[in-house]
Amino acid sequence: MHALQAKNLMVGARLDGGIVPAVRGLTFDLPPGKILGLVGESGAGKSMIGRAIAQLLPAGFEIMGGSLLFEGETLVGMAPARRRALLGRAIGFIPQHPMTALNPVMTIGAQFDEHLARLGEDKRKGRRQRAIAALAAARLPNAGDLLGRYPHQLSGGMCQRVLIAMAFSSNPRLVIADEPTTALDVTIHPQILRLIADMQREHGTAVIFITHDLRLAAQLCDQVVVMYAGRAIESGPARSILSTPAHPYTRCLQLANPTMRSERRALYVMPDQMPGLRQLKNMAGCHFAPRCPLVMAECRQAEPPSITIAADHNVACIRTTAVTHIATGQGPAAAPQISERIVLQVENLQKHYAVGDALFGGARTLSAVKEASFSIAENEFVALVGESGSGKSTIAKLLVGLEQPSSGRIVLNGDDLTDRSLRSRARRAASLQMVFQDPQSALNPRRRVASIITQAMEAGSRHASWDERVARTKELLVEVGLSADVAARLPGQLSGGQRQRVNIARALCNIPKILVADEIVSGLDVSIQAQLLNLLARLRSELGFGMLFISHDLSVVRHLCSRVLVMYRGEIVEHGSIETVFAVPKHSHTRALLSSVPPDDPEAIWPALRLPTSVAE
Amino acid sequence: MPGAVSRSLRSPRVLIALAMIFFIVSCAVFAGRIAPNDPADQNLLSILTPPQWAEAGDPMYPLGTDSLGRCVLSRLIYGARTAMLVAFFASLGAMIIGSILAHISGYFGGAVDWVIGRLVDVWMSFPPVILSLILMVGLGVGLDRVILAIILVDWTRFCRVLRSEVLVVTRHDYVAAARLLGFTHWQAITREVLPATLPLLITLISLEMAIAVIVEAILSFVGLGVGADQPAWGQMIADARQYVYQSPWNLLLPALAIFLTVTAFNLLGDGLRRTLDVRLAENQR
Repeated sequence: MHALQAKNLMVGARLDGGIVPAVRGLTFDLPPGKILGLVGESGAGKSMIGRAIAQLLPAGFEIMGGSLLFEGETLVGMAPARRRALLGRAIGFIPQHPMTALNPVMTIGAQFDEHLARLGEDKRKGRRQRAIAALAAARLPNAGDLLGRYPHQLSGGMCQRVLIAMAFSSNPRLVIADEPTTALDVTIHPQILRLIADMQREHGTAVIFITHDLRLAAQLCDQVVVMYAGRAIESGPARSILSTPAHPYTRCLQLANPTMRSERRALYVMPDQMPGLRQLKNMAGCHFAPRCPLVMAECRQAEPPSITIAADHNVACIRTTAVTHIATGQGPAAAPQISERIVLQVENLQKHYAVGDALFGGARTLSAVKEASFSIAENEFVALVGESGSGKSTIAKLLVGLEQPSSGRIVLNGDDLTDRSLRSRARRAASLQMVFQDPQSALNPRRRVASIITQAMEAGSRHASWDERVARTKELLVEVGLSADVAARLPGQLSGGQRQRVNIARALCNIPKILVADEIVSGLDVSIQAQLLNLLARLRSELGFGMLFISHDLSVVRHLCSRVLVMYRGEIVEHGSIETVFAVPKHSHTRALLSSVPPDDPEAIWPALRLPTSVAE
Repeated sequence: MPGAVSRSLRSPRVLIALAMIFFIVSCAVFAGRIAPNDPADQNLLSILTPPQWAEAGDPMYPLGTDSLGRCVLSRLIYGARTAMLVAFFASLGAMIIGSILAHISGYFGGAVDWVIGRLVDVWMSFPPVILSLILMVGLGVGLDRVILAIILVDWTRFCRVLRSEVLVVTRHDYVAAARLLGFTHWQAITREVLPATLPLLITLISLEMAIAVIVEAILSFVGLGVGADQPAWGQMIADARQYVYQSPWNLLLPALAIFLTVTAFNLLGDGLRRTLDVRLAENQR
């Protein structure tokens, strides 16, 4: 009997008086003890399964048809009492945000105790022993000590381990893991994935693993279902899907992802983005057709049926045979000639913070940045990588002047920027700009796009006329690849990718010499990320600015930059050209970062997932 | 903002409140034309007459007369003028002082925030009614003094509530981005922060108007208000206390006027909060 079986499952959303299918015709079988990966970009409907099982669909969403069987028992329309008996016992959950999934005012011990009491463990002592055993099994050191602590005293990775221990403590037959590593630091990812894989093997549990990372799914899962706009467009054995993708979308997704090994090439760019629910409403034919490089007239008429092309490998496409012909086509990314002219020079930059109460003693100083020195030449993209809290963002803030350095010098084109005079502020504004991480927060929701991207023209004593600003808006929109009608919209009316383009356009208004980009592609889907990476490469060759590119994603860094600075606990521990540093990493932290990237080749062994790992947090 | 205005005009709360306020403001503005009698004219031959529709009613005094034979309706209408003047100028003044300090405090943070925050703490530790009574004793009676006393007592309310909103808005990256593009602090506050705090500001003004009406009534009631020559609702209640058994109308009518005015402003504030609130509006998107 299958642990979970979905047959023609349809989840509908009520929208504008009609019903739009958010998930359509989803069919899969999950045998006991296997891992099924649900892969897709945001909005593909991959999280709906977990929510449908828990009966936690968002308001307006409903299961409209098909069946969902847990060990042969139907979950659709199940009596609430029966469902409660299953959830948390036979079916466990591992959430995306471990910090918010634990109750902040209860100790780990109290929460574990509550969970075990619900599972029917009567004796207090027995519960405590089981909790300690479960935490130890999740490779948490000093489990007994941990029970008395509160969630905020633990790191995100440790919280996730606690939740994994809880999820598996009931010996569940099915566990749903919804992007369990997304909220955590990259260096922790392999450890958490390995833990899930080990627990799954030990308990013989079936796991649904929801992720947006195809490479990761190939490493961890037995079966993979690739979803696009609510439909499973390709499903089959994990490795064969990655090695021989049969749907153009899967192939494009693969080509849009920068790699760690092959030569650097321009990324494959799918135009536009996945249709939202509103657009799905009046869409005929294959939903991928508008973005598909292999589209034919027939594709637009009817939705292609799911066909079996190999053992267990199904694909919903009529152009399967041509998929191997999809290639980047744009040739290798032209490696720009990096001039020798240094634009930005940073010398011995330091930043200390006083923590604790300065008035009543107990104050300590905390160095966020220690002795950082580096330079950026004209046209050069330099990467700054490191785990969260390593001081990457502090360096960015020091550079643009949002924070003042405790000591050290920032020299831009021969001018020292560290003095706080008005003149240096104006010079900084003209030649050093920042692109912020989160466009939602970085764009004023009350300003129209035209007013946002030419904001620099109303700064200080500059009073550009509206005509001048409209003219500049037009130029900038062309530059970042947005259509002219975007100018009159509000940020709330734009998609994530469009917002990030507006964010970049605003920084380019004064034609800066140096851009500081803080994780500007990390929140975006792979296909949008590819569009932006290519955009940045093009802008560099057109405008010739240098950039400090802060990121935690090494494959993105490798694709875009020529030099890398590795930061660890406030210090730049390693620097050099990407090729050298990635080929022969010297510092242990660089090695940890490198090993956290899943390999591109699905047959390759990801050492981080196989080797025993210790808890180093 | 145009979206927010049309959204609030669709809210029944806001519409009802606006209709009530429009009525009260019209009374205040056109008091000279619509009042049947001079509010200060005494007719000692017909004191404490009941309203027109009662048995001994006099058509000359539609709502009867008070203990000095003055027309209650006229005094109510002129009282609206006093109440509206106080409500408008007192809340405007409190808003100006409170919001300027709130924006400085929330935007700059650090020591400035600490100093302003403690000042507000100390100020708020005085009971508001007592503080305004003490101020009135010091300042003397009169319309402008009442307004000044309310401003001095109530600016802290604006400061405290707005400061936290300014803090939230200032943390958005777009304020930092504006600074990086060369905006001065003044430009960043007026062009980036203020438009975001404006909805809350408008809501607070409307609520403050209700409070100003109540405080003015309290001060007039104890005789430390606008002065005996000017009709005020609080004063009318105070005058009618003695004769509450002979003529309950004299006490009930001004109380009703206060009640309706305060309800209208509170209803407006509540309706505006629901339609203008940034968080609620953002969720709708």
